Amino acid sequence: MRIAFAGNPNSGKTSMYNALTGRNEKVGNWAGVTVDKKESPIRKSMYKGTEKLVAVDLPGAYSMSPFTSEEGVTSEYVRKEKPDVIINIVDATNLSRSLFFTTQLMELGIPVVVALNKSDINEKKKTNIDVSALSKRLGCPVIKTVSTSASDEGLREVVHAAVSVAGSVQKAPYTQGTRVLRDKAEAEEADRRRYAFVNGIVAQVETRAALTRDRNSQDKVDAVLTNVWFGIPVFAVVMFLVFQISQTWVGPVVADALVGGLESFQEWVRGFFETANPLLTALLVDGVIGGVIAVIGFLPLVMVMYFLIALLEDCGYLARATVVLDPMFKKVGLSGKSVIPFVMSIGCAVPGVMASRTIHNERERRAATMLAPFMPCGAKIPVISLFAGAFFSEHRGIISAAMYFSGIMLIFLGALLINKITGNSAKHSYFIMEIPEYKLPSLSRAFATMCSRGWAYIVKAATIILICNTVVQIMQSFDWSFRVAESADTSILASIAGPFAYLLVPVVGVLSWQLAAAAITGFIAKENVVGTLAVCFVGLDNLIDTEELALMEGAGTEVASAFAITKAAALAYLMFNLFSPPCFAAIGAMSAEMKSAKWLWAGLGLQLGVGYTVGFFVFQIGTIGMTGGVGAGFVPGGLAVAAFAAILSFLIMRTKKRLAAERAGKELRNG
Amino acid sequence: MTLADAKPGVEYRVKEIVTGDEELNEFLFTLGCYSGEPITVISRLRSGCIVSIKDGRYNIDKELAAAIKI
Amino acid sequence: MDNVILIAVLVLILGAALAYIIKAKRRGVKCIGCPAGGQCSGAKGGSSCGGCSCNCGCGHSE
Repeated sequence: MRIAFAGNPNSGKTSMYNALTGRNEKVGNWAGVTVDKKESPIRKSMYKGTEKLVAVDLPGAYSMSPFTSEEGVTSEYVRKEKPDVIINIVDATNLSRSLFFTTQLMELGIPVVVALNKSDINEKKKTNIDVSALSKRLGCPVIKTVSTSASDEGLREVVHAAVSVAGSVQKAPYTQGTRVLRDKAEAEEADRRRYAFVNGIVAQVETRAALTRDRNSQDKVDAVLTNVWFGIPVFAVVMFLVFQISQTWVGPVVADALVGGLESFQEWVRGFFETANPLLTALLVDGVIGGVIAVIGFLPLVMVMYFLIALLEDCGYLARATVVLDPMFKKVGLSGKSVIPFVMSIGCAVPGVMASRTIHNERERRAATMLAPFMPCGAKIPVISLFAGAFFSEHRGIISAAMYFSGIMLIFLGALLINKITGNSAKHSYFIMEIPEYKLPSLSRAFATMCSRGWAYIVKAATIILICNTVVQIMQSFDWSFRVAESADTSILASIAGPFAYLLVPVVGVLSWQLAAAAITGFIAKENVVGTLAVCFVGLDNLIDTEELALMEGAGTEVASAFAITKAAALAYLMFNLFSPPCFAAIGAMSAEMKSAKWLWAGLGLQLGVGYTVGFFVFQIGTIGMTGGVGAGFVPGGLAVAAFAAILSFLIMRTKKRLAAERAGKELRNG
Repeated sequence: MTLADAKPGVEYRVKEIVTGDEELNEFLFTLGCYSGEPITVISRLRSGCIVSIKDGRYNIDKELAAAIKI
Repeated sequence: MDNVILIAVLVLILGAALAYIIKAKRRGVKCIGCPAGGQCSGAKGGSSCGGCSCNCGCGHSE
């Protein structure tokens, strides 16, 4: 038996779905977290019967006539797939709006159970809803629930009610009538009558102590958080604290202990196989174990960060952040709604890219899809932590936060460029977003999110990353005639990565096939950058250049013989990896959302160009700052960047011409 | 006048919505924002304002505020 | 002798990792380890919806 969860956005459908199925789908205190339907069996503890129940979580919708494509998923599913029962999750704090959708759902004939969710908030606000009267007026079971609390009895009641009404035919309390609606005016008239009917019910069953339009204590908080002057600094401080706590205060303490333990294990294994074949020992100890340790070592930092972000999502601050950022995004032709894909991308670019579906305007949606991967994702955290910790240990919090702010800056610049290239003529783009109530974030749920993300990280490190590291280790041990390579420089890996290493010289200052190989394996998964570096340099310590200035003086041939890189090069290489195209999974998601090969290639080109340009400038400017002279590969790198700039300006000029021609054409017609 | 000139905290009635975007109008309708319905500006922000429609809070931008006649 | 153990350990680790990946892929998981598992349509790649009736926003329904 399939039970569909339908309701307004941010009414708590996914929270209820998670509570009933024991899954841990992403929830957040803002509208539009779920953009796709999800299915899972309901836990046995929630239902005593023998029948197998399957819950279907649907994206939120305000009505059956969809406005955004994810709303369409909901109405399509309910209409076509005909679930056995619909649990309509109603936001009890906004009964009148929710019931509009409820009455539409009930017309479909599928039995409906109304779950009056967020009833805890209502109690706090002294809003009373007469459940039995509401149930009678609607003609379906109505049950009060608190989906954020797993112990809530209401959840079980809802499931039982759903099972008991299954198979019956829902009688609608309000029908539009069978009259075919001929035009828009009639449709609106019908909807008005529906609203009038709903308002009638609400007036009968609801009594409120505080009106929503009254100012309350939350408004005072909002007045500061979304203030004209404080809004952005507050946002900056909040984000900085997230990184400072995860990268400096808490994360490294745990990470050091973890790495210490893992490394002694590695040494124990090395000692154990002392007499074995050195090649095989290296494969196991340096390739498999060393590579995985390098990645796992960053697990605590990643977990702490996910924990903090889960708290932020839960409390309702992120919806305010969109309000703060909207005017800035608007200046570059993006709506505040695009903040959601960008924020989601901090976790993983795949859902981030998918979240761009909530953006109505197609051009804006594609721009957001293209730009979301600039936000460093969870898999990039180990890369950031590695370089921030190794090269800038005293300022690692600042460097990490700076990477995210650079990401935001690049999104702005990228949006500006896309605007210029597509010739967006500042069309009216309206923005409306629901502001959820603040609530105390749930520590247990943030903990659960942290654990599930942490586990995912371990699984990834122990499978994909491990295999990649092994392949890298094998490829750097043998040459093309499958003999043991005399040195790693003559290995298969070196010869494959070699050509790319030339391209990286203007960014890192040295000809290092290891760095090139790491950047390439990064496309499979960004954590691979760390793993591959650990394998190629036999431990990450060898990457760090302790005498950077001494080496830098002879910028050129001497440097090329050294593996190690300078601070400027480290930062440049880090930023190149962060802002060049994302991993294959995210590229796949981009392609799926863009639905246009042209836009996809444009996006990848933009990302590659931006990543390279940023890396080039960071390295060259940093090197000038430290040594007074330009870094290696200044001329060829400069030419590449100039070529990128030339392509962009050509595209911009072409658009300008086209726009001018269009304007002239219009004037001609008008005149 | 439009919502852009509305005084915060005072309840107004929506007279007309002129966005030129059918779908948006329908969307606003489902939120309960249509002619004849009450609407209140809670606070003003740089980018627009926070309004209360029925029992929900929404952030709308200046352009949309200017499109709602009250 | 040491070599035999060493090879056995390597085969075991790599085999387990590969087996996990293959099993996960068979289940339809796109990104290994991702909690969203096989339910995430984001990484399906291209418009390769494969004619599914999922209305997953991949443009198949419209």
